[in-house]
Amino acid sequence: MILLMGNPNVGKSIFFTELTGIYANSANYAGTTVTYMEGRVTIGGKGYTLIDVPGTYSLKPTSEVEAVAAQFMERGAQAVVCVLDASNLERNLHLALEIQGYGIPVVYALNLTDVANRHGITVNPALLARELDAPVISTVAVKRQGIKELLHTLDTVLEASEKQNCPSAEACRRCGSCPRKHIALDIFDEKDVWARAKEITLRVSRKDSASPGFLDRLGDAMLRPATGIPLALLLIALAIGVVVFGGRGLRAVALLPLVRQLIIPFFEGLFTRFVPEGVLLNILVGEFGVFVISFEWILALIFPYVLLFYVVFTFLEDTGFLPRMAVLFDNIMRKLGVQGGSLIHMLMGYGCAVPAIIGTRASTGRKERIVISAAICFAIPCISQIGALVTLLSVFAWWMLPAMLAFSLVLVAITALVAGRLVKGRVDPLLLEVPNLLMPTAKSYGRKLLTRMKHFLKDAEVPMLIAVFFAAILAETGLLARIAVHAQPLVSVWLGLPEDAVIALILGIVRREMSVAPLLALDLNSLQAFVGGVVSLLYLPCLSVFAILAKEFKARVAIIIFGLTIFVALFTGGAINQLVLFFMRG
Amino acid sequence: MATNLYVAEKSRPLQVTSLPNISLLESMGLRAGSRVMIQNRYALGGPVLLRVEDAYSVALGKEIAVQIGVVGVA
Repeated sequence: MILLMGNPNVGKSIFFTELTGIYANSANYAGTTVTYMEGRVTIGGKGYTLIDVPGTYSLKPTSEVEAVAAQFMERGAQAVVCVLDASNLERNLHLALEIQGYGIPVVYALNLTDVANRHGITVNPALLARELDAPVISTVAVKRQGIKELLHTLDTVLEASEKQNCPSAEACRRCGSCPRKHIALDIFDEKDVWARAKEITLRVSRKDSASPGFLDRLGDAMLRPATGIPLALLLIALAIGVVVFGGRGLRAVALLPLVRQLIIPFFEGLFTRFVPEGVLLNILVGEFGVFVISFEWILALIFPYVLLFYVVFTFLEDTGFLPRMAVLFDNIMRKLGVQGGSLIHMLMGYGCAVPAIIGTRASTGRKERIVISAAICFAIPCISQIGALVTLLSVFAWWMLPAMLAFSLVLVAITALVAGRLVKGRVDPLLLEVPNLLMPTAKSYGRKLLTRMKHFLKDAEVPMLIAVFFAAILAETGLLARIAVHAQPLVSVWLGLPEDAVIALILGIVRREMSVAPLLALDLNSLQAFVGGVVSLLYLPCLSVFAILAKEFKARVAIIIFGLTIFVALFTGGAINQLVLFFMRG
Repeated sequence: MATNLYVAEKSRPLQVTSLPNISLLESMGLRAGSRVMIQNRYALGGPVLLRVEDAYSVALGKEIAVQIGVVGVA
């Protein structure tokens, strides 16, 4: 087993992808990898398991994520690839020296040398190798520079280690002939480690004055309150514009005609030729038929918004914009009882709640994790649901969509405040490294976007098809009409929606957007559309979220969040309906 | 003059004299003796953005920044 280790945000996941061919998510901020990934890598004709260990500043862990890294080192490995940030060598060497203390053979990848050069920093890899008594390879992982040499060196190191027959850390530390022994034993004191890191940095690197380039100046401007806040608001407005208007355009111009004029008529023609008229034909290609709504809902309704969201979000994530937002808006987040870093997870939640909740593992406390997860479940719609809501609301007045967005933000604040009071403990203040602003390479950006879309299609497809199939059975067999009669007091009297809207409440359990999609065919008025939208926004998150809540916290937390979301959704939607009707009558 | 990081002068070289007992601070490389400079300060109880050893930037919440003692250096 080979461990890939290093400080957060030094490019470990890019190495993992390059070495194993398995895509590991990476982004320009600390804490992107919150759980380890493993893959196979062939070195010198032999197969090894490569582990992408979550980034850590030290082997004395301060969060759940960092604990994972320390556990891996304790367990031991055949070799470690320690990735160093050449633009911030001293801090990275602290971890490098801690790793040396375990006596496992190490190869150092001196990465981000391009960023270091931009800042006038040059590091001599040969000198560094002499100081560390281990090979150092200069790399720029995003451009694949140095990867071959790294593999070759790793082969040599593994071969030498196997010949020496010193497989475990403990054995290595006791071995009198091992040249590493003095390193392992002499500098394990914390102060000495820092002193040694400084000493090595001074010996092997040089810093010349370099005038800041465009990206550095823009990165600084994005952090100054006077320029950063307007820039951040402008970028968010642009991002929303691209997703909402771009999504509507893509749907109207390309996907809806494709689905309605080509795909659905094709299946209608196909099935009517072989299947006699009746329930089965209706289940296949009726109004709610599987081959009608699966394309209408998944391809024409949701796909354009998901695609454009990830086009925008992936870019923002890889440039280093998100941690800048976290710093700029930390003061507002503190007023809500959380801290600025949580904003990154909330924004991620607008894509999908599952990775956002998993991402909260990087938080230093349990309370923060629960508060953010609750806000994501209660009030942050995922992009699939946003796509459905945009389509539902945009046919009415222009202000309905912004009103829903404002309502969602108010709900985020209320949820965070209430959850903050209910959950015991404290939320640690912001402590976040702000990365350099970077321009993603076309290759890494394209690969990440493609992987995200593949994951979306793979992960969402099965539950979506289950929901679609369920909808077809309910609607086309007459079952829906029977259920609707029983649900009439809730759906029609309290919420003011047509009886058939009960199908949205049933399907919404499976996937969030399914609590909106069936409403599109119900010819709603503007009040009904807004109430339907509010119920959907607040309604329980999907089954995948239930599973992840139960796994990350306890089943009790998942059950409480699910119960409360259903109650609050139905109560709030009904209350809005009754209030508006009251004033209209008055 | 000794002061804390939250109120220290912006854009001036400072040296850290004392820190609260937060292990993440030390593992991030911020320790007694570190040379730092305040890059930005944010209103309404917002954080302080710090340049550490002219190598990297760290944002520190107000509750942490007020506990970090610093002195101005030439």
